[in-house]
Amino acid sequence: MHIIVCIKSVIVKAPEAGMVRSHDSTELNPFDRPVLETALRIKEARGGIVTALSMGPESSISAISEARAMGVDRGVLTCDPALAGSDTLATSTALAAALKKLAPFDLVLFGTRTSDSDTGQVGPQAALLLGIPLVTQVHSIEHRDSGLYVERTADGFIEKFELSFPVALTIHPASAQPRDIDLAGIGSAFEEENTKIWNLSDLELSPDQVGDAGSPTKVLSISRAKRHKKCEFLKGDALEQADELIKQLTESGMIG
Amino acid sequence: MDSILSEKHRVVRRSVRRFCERELQPIAKEIDQEARFPWEVVEKMGRLGYFGIQVPKELGGAGLDSLSYAIIIEEISRVCASLGLCVTVHNSVAVYPILAFGSEEQKAKWVPPLARGEKIGAFCLTEPNAGSDATGIESTSIKDGENYVVNANKVFVTNGGVADICLIFVQTNPGADRKEMSVVVAERGTPGFVVGDLEDLCGMRANPVSSIRLYDCRVPVKSLLGKEGQGLRIGLTALDTGRMGIAAQSAGIGQAALEEALRYARQRRQFGVPIERHQAIQFMIADMATLVDAAKLMTYRAAVLRDRGKPFSQESAMAKLFASEAASKITDMAVQIHGGYGYSKSYPVERYYRDARVTRIYEGTSEIHRMVIARGLMR
Ligand SMILES: Cc1cc2nc3c(=O)[nH]c(=O)nc-3n(C[C@H](O)[C@H](O)[C@H](O)COP(=O)(O)OP(=O)(O)OC[C@H]3O[C@@H](n4cnc5c(N)ncnc54)[C@H](O)[C@@H]3O)c2cc1C
Repeated sequence: MHIIVCIKSVIVKAPEAGMVRSHDSTELNPFDRPVLETALRIKEARGGIVTALSMGPESSISAISEARAMGVDRGVLTCDPALAGSDTLATSTALAAALKKLAPFDLVLFGTRTSDSDTGQVGPQAALLLGIPLVTQVHSIEHRDSGLYVERTADGFIEKFELSFPVALTIHPASAQPRDIDLAGIGSAFEEENTKIWNLSDLELSPDQVGDAGSPTKVLSISRAKRHKKCEFLKGDALEQADELIKQLTESGMIG
Repeated sequence: MDSILSEKHRVVRRSVRRFCERELQPIAKEIDQEARFPWEVVEKMGRLGYFGIQVPKELGGAGLDSLSYAIIIEEISRVCASLGLCVTVHNSVAVYPILAFGSEEQKAKWVPPLARGEKIGAFCLTEPNAGSDATGIESTSIKDGENYVVNANKVFVTNGGVADICLIFVQTNPGADRKEMSVVVAERGTPGFVVGDLEDLCGMRANPVSSIRLYDCRVPVKSLLGKEGQGLRIGLTALDTGRMGIAAQSAGIGQAALEEALRYARQRRQFGVPIERHQAIQFMIADMATLVDAAKLMTYRAAVLRDRGKPFSQESAMAKLFASEAASKITDMAVQIHGGYGYSKSYPVERYYRDARVTRIYEGTSEIHRMVIARGLMR
């Protein structure tokens, strides 16, 4: 069983001016932790190996290191200056190329979203580019001999799927409580160098397929949204004010 | 600061920080107030390797290096200094001396349960009449056939209330040179082994610091650590590592106080602006940050020297002296920045202030450290 988990190193703080990704400003996407947990549990149940795959600048290696400390067997970082500025489509293109190079695999797992851009597009797009089936927002997994039963909740219905490998899933963040990192695991993760870095030519991609050139969408600017606070003074004596406050809180659904 | 660390050490910091913020942060105030040892968290920490940080994996430990050790103690202490104390004392002055001086048989017997946190260790040197002058100990251990008969009165034992495996410093040859002391390992539950009342401390209240007394307690001769007369060397070797831990603990408390002060100074407004705009506050914050950084760097230097197998005793003593005094200054400024609220239990800085104070006292007072450092320079 070969399970590949696609993870991202995300920006911790909202950028003030220009996005600089460094060791101090990035962390493993919190929505990817339950995915790693899911992968490790599947491995514990069925055997095999788990690979963590990430695309990003060199500092993204820290996300892979954390995955390795959790118990992931090996890591691959696709990293190339030409990848800078990739939108979700270009990112999916690069990941799909890396996934093909990592084949054969049985399961490709993604988070449902990231904490720093929140599109939810990368998993579905990569699955499409690979031409493998996809179930999104999976919250429970059951094993069967040659595949899986998975469940997702959508629009108030629970959908249950029977799947055979290979298949891609996006994992609902509430589906598994990620394990605490065992200190011994950190030692082991760093004892053997088991993270590869692939550039564009390793992926057999040309610079026009990825990065700014390969991205149909461009982020032109980022600025802090101004939140407008408004303050309303309640009139009347204390009793009337209290009544009015309760009325407004009830109407706005805050209490009731 | 982390940009000077390796990827491995950054992962250590992040992992420990996440664990401590989730498990310890919510109870840190309560366990301080109730003077309660948080077994529920300690058990989890035991399973995750916190009680055998540098113990080789074959003996059930995490097999990490000294720099990782310093970072771990710093991070635990940033959230809960009492537990930082428990972990550093257990690892550095209880487990490590057994690893360094114990026989294979002793290591195989004591280290695995200690490394998994199933048993807690303690270091019992201080006595009512022997504090800074460790050679003044009066506890005795007299050989009687296969056993030692130990009579000891140990005070201020960190982890004392919960410790299972205790390193007891004794005179095996009373009347001989007082420096000829020895260390016997006594296990809780042995007849004559008595845990005294817990100290009602100013800070570090979640650590069950207590006295431990041994009355005609019969301990097998094979529980002697190292050789007879080797006790002082064992103690000093352990303290070299221990002091690095206390330095890390102090840096962690300082870091916490700095973060709280920054947060408060941004939010508190006086004279129409957040107080962080007042230069007097900025100057305090600048001094606090500089002290925290210097404390960490000195601690990391001692740790790296130890990892490289180089002498680090002097550097460890300097780190402990500097970091503990820095922690007192930093927490004092953090209280000052909080004004009256800093003197109230509504904010955590008053806890940091109380916790920081003792770092200048235990594992050798600041005065003793200055003597030790000067002696090292004048050799
Ligand atoms: C919370 C806590 C936990 C502790 N945990 C442990 C533990 O786990 N194991 C253990 O063995 N001990 C422990 N101790 C004891 C601690 O190490 C001693 O308190 C410390 O070494 C000082 O000894 P003392 O209290 O007897 O002070 P004293 O030695 O009596 O010192 C009193 C004052 O005199 C000064 N002084 C003494 N001698 C000299 C000198 N020659 N020159 C100049 N000044 C001098 C000291 O610096 C100090 O200011 C702990 C103490 C506390 C408070």
